[in-house]
Formats: sequence, structure tokens, C-alpha cells
Amino acid sequence: MAIGVVAGVVLAAIIALIGLFKLMWRVAEPNEALVISGSTHKTEGIGEGMGFRIVTGRGTLVLPGVQAVRKLSLDLNETQLNVDCVTHQGIPLRVKGVVIFKIGDDYVSIANAARRFLDQQKMMPERVHIVFAGHLRSIVGGLTVEDMIRDREKLTGQTRAACGTEMEKLGLIVDSLQIHEIEDPTGYIKNLAMPHAAAVQRDARIAQAEANRLATEAEQTAFARMAEATRDSEILQAGYQAERDKAAATARQAGPLSEAAARQEVVVQETRVAELEAHRREQQLQADVRKPADAAAYQTRTLAEAERDARISAAQAKAKETELAAAAEATRVRTAAAAEAQATEARGHAAATATRVSGEAEAASTQAKGLAAAESARANGLAQAEAARAKGLAEAEAIKARAAALAENQEAVVAQQLAENWPAIVQAGAGAFGNVEHMVLLNGAEGMSEMFAKALTMGGTGLGVARQLLASMGAQQKGEQKGEGGREAKAPAATPVSGTGPGRTPIPIDEDRA
Amino acid sequence: MMGMTGRVTGTVGPGLVGEVIVQIRGGAEHFLAYPAPGEGRIGVGSVVTVVEYQPPRTVYVMGVYEG
Repeated sequence: MAIGVVAGVVLAAIIALIGLFKLMWRVAEPNEALVISGSTHKTEGIGEGMGFRIVTGRGTLVLPGVQAVRKLSLDLNETQLNVDCVTHQGIPLRVKGVVIFKIGDDYVSIANAARRFLDQQKMMPERVHIVFAGHLRSIVGGLTVEDMIRDREKLTGQTRAACGTEMEKLGLIVDSLQIHEIEDPTGYIKNLAMPHAAAVQRDARIAQAEANRLATEAEQTAFARMAEATRDSEILQAGYQAERDKAAATARQAGPLSEAAARQEVVVQETRVAELEAHRREQQLQADVRKPADAAAYQTRTLAEAERDARISAAQAKAKETELAAAAEATRVRTAAAAEAQATEARGHAAATATRVSGEAEAASTQAKGLAAAESARANGLAQAEAARAKGLAEAEAIKARAAALAENQEAVVAQQLAENWPAIVQAGAGAFGNVEHMVLLNGAEGMSEMFAKALTMGGTGLGVARQLLASMGAQQKGEQKGEGGREAKAPAATPVSGTGPGRTPIPIDEDRA
Repeated sequence: MMGMTGRVTGTVGPGLVGEVIVQIRGGAEHFLAYPAPGEGRIGVGSVVTVVEYQPPRTVYVMGVYEG
């Protein structure tokens, strides 16, 4: 219990102490100063004080009831100035401004201010306004309007010079003095500014006009360039349009042009075809009509020529043959006669010589045999001679009989002769064709027979000649028979005329020789 | 206070009441400044030395770097 009481007392004592301390301990805020009075204190920086103590920014013990503690605000204060002034030139002005001030931080200032404003802190701005109004009037009275406007430093400096000491007395410091506005009821400032304003306005107008001019020039130049550009563009566009139109026209005409070209090509080709066809037709006509006609004409001409040539050849052959036949006959007769004579003579000589030589040889070699041989030879020769004579007689008889027969039946003899010599005649007739290389017979078998008939007719002419010869011989024989009587003469020699065989030996000549 | 340096914020010169601002008491305060004898005009921005202090807010200054 006691402990509780003690504890309670202690606690109460502590609480009481704390409360007492709280009552005694005062703290000065940063923006305030405590002015403690009631006992003699010495304040730092203030030599002989007037019995009060100033505390700023810290706590201090104050004896309640003994000491009085007052707070002095160190905050800023402001006061609005609205002062009617007259300048050095006598021009009335109304100056509006603001003064920002505070109590100085040093103890002297605080002490001064405390003594003056401690109970009238709310009244400070009024007091300051009064002070500043008076000073401002005097300051403005010493300045001209131009100075006020243009030389603020001068205004500030003079304000400081005028108010500084005043404020020092009051323990105040002026942080800022600003002149907001200078009202000018007479319009001095306005008029003052007017020349400048006019000049400025003039310059502004000039500048504006210049600027307008430049702008207009620039604009016009720009317009001109735009027009130029537009013109160039339009020219170019027109050129391009023209090119486009041209190209389009060309393109439009390209179709018909190519069509025409193609049609032209077609026409050309068709013309070519027509020409070729005409040419072909011409060629065909040449081949079909002209060539056959030419061939026919050529054939006809050739045939005619061949026929003519054949006729000419035939005639020539016939003439030649006749001539040759006559010549050959004459030659043959002559040659035959000569040959016969020579042959007979030679043979006779040869035979005689041979006979004599052989006989002599026979006789010389073998007497007996020779004799026998001579005998036999003589006999043989005799026999031969006899045989020859008999044969010649027989021939003579035959010729005589033939002559008689000729005389009597000339035709029959001739026919016989012809029959005997017919192959030779035919050969002679065929000789006419011997030189013909190609012979074209146009009438076939009929032409062939005709041709051969003609040829044989040519042979037949030989028959006519023979007849004439025979006729002439016949006449001659009749004449001779009448004249010489039975002499056979050479009439029989004419008989071989028709016979051309070389092996034929005219016996009558041999007979004459023998 | 004497010997401190400050900066001129209002022209100091003969016949003028200038202003300097000096670092003091944990802040910076401005004082009405007068030129020290022999000093000429000290323009705004110049650094000055306080050669005399007249409480509460008046100092006499002279230029620091003046030759």
C-alpha cells in the first residue's frame, strides 16, 4: 500500500515535474524570437541590456510568474504602396509598389523591433507604409519620370539611402522594394512614348511595307515561277499528249495497216499464183497443143521429106542403077572377054607347057613309064580333048539350041534366066536399102510390101534391060544368021549378061581357042 | 563581423548608400554599406571585406581584390 502510495506520489511528482518543466521550458521557433523579461539577463551581443533577454532558435527556462515571455515573429511582412507623387519635373504620378520587409536577425535589430512593435506587430505594415510613402515622395520628387522609368537602380539606390537608416532604427530590413505601376494622369509617359511609338510605328509600317513588298515580290516571283512551271508543264503535257495521240493514232492505224499489208501480201501471192497458173496453163498449152502440133507438123514435114527423099533416092538409085548396070555390063562384058581370052591363052600355054614339060620329064625319068604315061597322057589328053570337044560341042549345041529357043521363045528363055538369077536381082534390089540406116514405115505391113514392091520393081528394071538386050541380040542373031549362016559368033556371050555368077565359064570361047 | 567578406548587391561609393550581403549567423544578411575611407566606387558583384561594423546594419567595406 505504501509502495503504491509512494509510487503514486512519485508518479505524481514526476508528472508534476514534467508539467512544471513544460511550464518553464520554452522553445523559440526558427521564425520567432523570444523576448524574456523580468530578470536581469545579459544577452549576447547586447552590452548593457535593458533587462530582457532575447532567445532565437533554442529552448530556455523561464520562471513562470517571474519572467514574461513574448514572441516576436521574424516572418516576412509586406506592405502595398500606393503613393501620389510629384516628380522633379512637377508631373503628378501615382506610384504603386510593394515593400517586403522583416525584422533583422541580429539581436540589435530584434531588440529595436521588440521595443517598437512587440505589441503592435499587426500594425507594422501601416507604419512601414507611412515611412515608405513619405520617403517615396521625397525620392520621386528628386527624380524625373525618365529616371524612374529608365533607371531603376537609381530609384532603388535612393530608396535604400533614404529608408535604410530609417529602417535600421526600426530594426527592420527591406528585402525587396518593387514599383509595380506608375500611373500617369497627365499622359506624360504616353506622350513621352509617343514619338518613339510613332517612330516605332513608322518603322513597323516601313518594315511591314518592306516585308509586304518583299512578300509580294516573292509571291509574284513565286506566281511567275508557278506560271512558268505551269506553262512548261502544260507544254510538256501537250507534247506528251501529242506523242500519246500520235502513238494512239499509230496504234489505231497499225491494225488496218497490217491488215492492208496482209491483204497486199495476199493479193501479191494471189497474183503470183495467178501468174503461175497462167504460166502453167501456157506451159500446158505448149505441152498439150503446141508441142503436139509441132510434133505433128514435124512429123508431117519429116514424113514428107522422108517420102520426098525416098522418092528422090529411089529415082536416083534407079538412075544410078541403070547407069551402073549399063556400065557394069559393058565393063563386065569387056573384062570378061579379055579375061576369057587371057585365061584361055594362059591356060593353053600352061597346059601346053605343063604337058610338054611333064611329058619330057616323064620321058626323061622313066622311058617306059614315060612312054606309058605319055601314051596314057596322050590318051588322056586325047580323051580330055575329046571330052572337051564333046563338051564344047555339047555346049555349042546347047547354046545353039538355046539360041534357037531364044529365037523361038525369047520370053521363056528370059524368064528362065530371070528365074535362075532371081536371088541376085533381089540382092541388087535390096542394095538400094543397104545405105538406109533407119527406115520408118508408116503404113505397117502394107507399107512394107509397097516398099519391097518398089525395090523389086527396081530389080525389075533390070529385067526390062535384059529384055531389051535380048531383043537387040535376038535381032542381031537373026541378022547374022541370015548373013553368015550358022555361025554362032558371040551371041551366046550375051547370055551371061543376066547371069552374074563368076563360076560360069563361057564354053564357046574355050571352044574357039581349042 | 569585421574581416568577413561579402558581396556588393548595391553599388557602394562615396555619396551612396550601398548594400552588401554577408554570410553571418547561419544565413546571409544584407547590410547597408559605405565605402571605407579612400575607397572609390565599388560596383555590384564585387567582393568586399568588412572593415568596420556599425550595429545594427551598417558596415564599411573595401574591395578585396583591388590593387
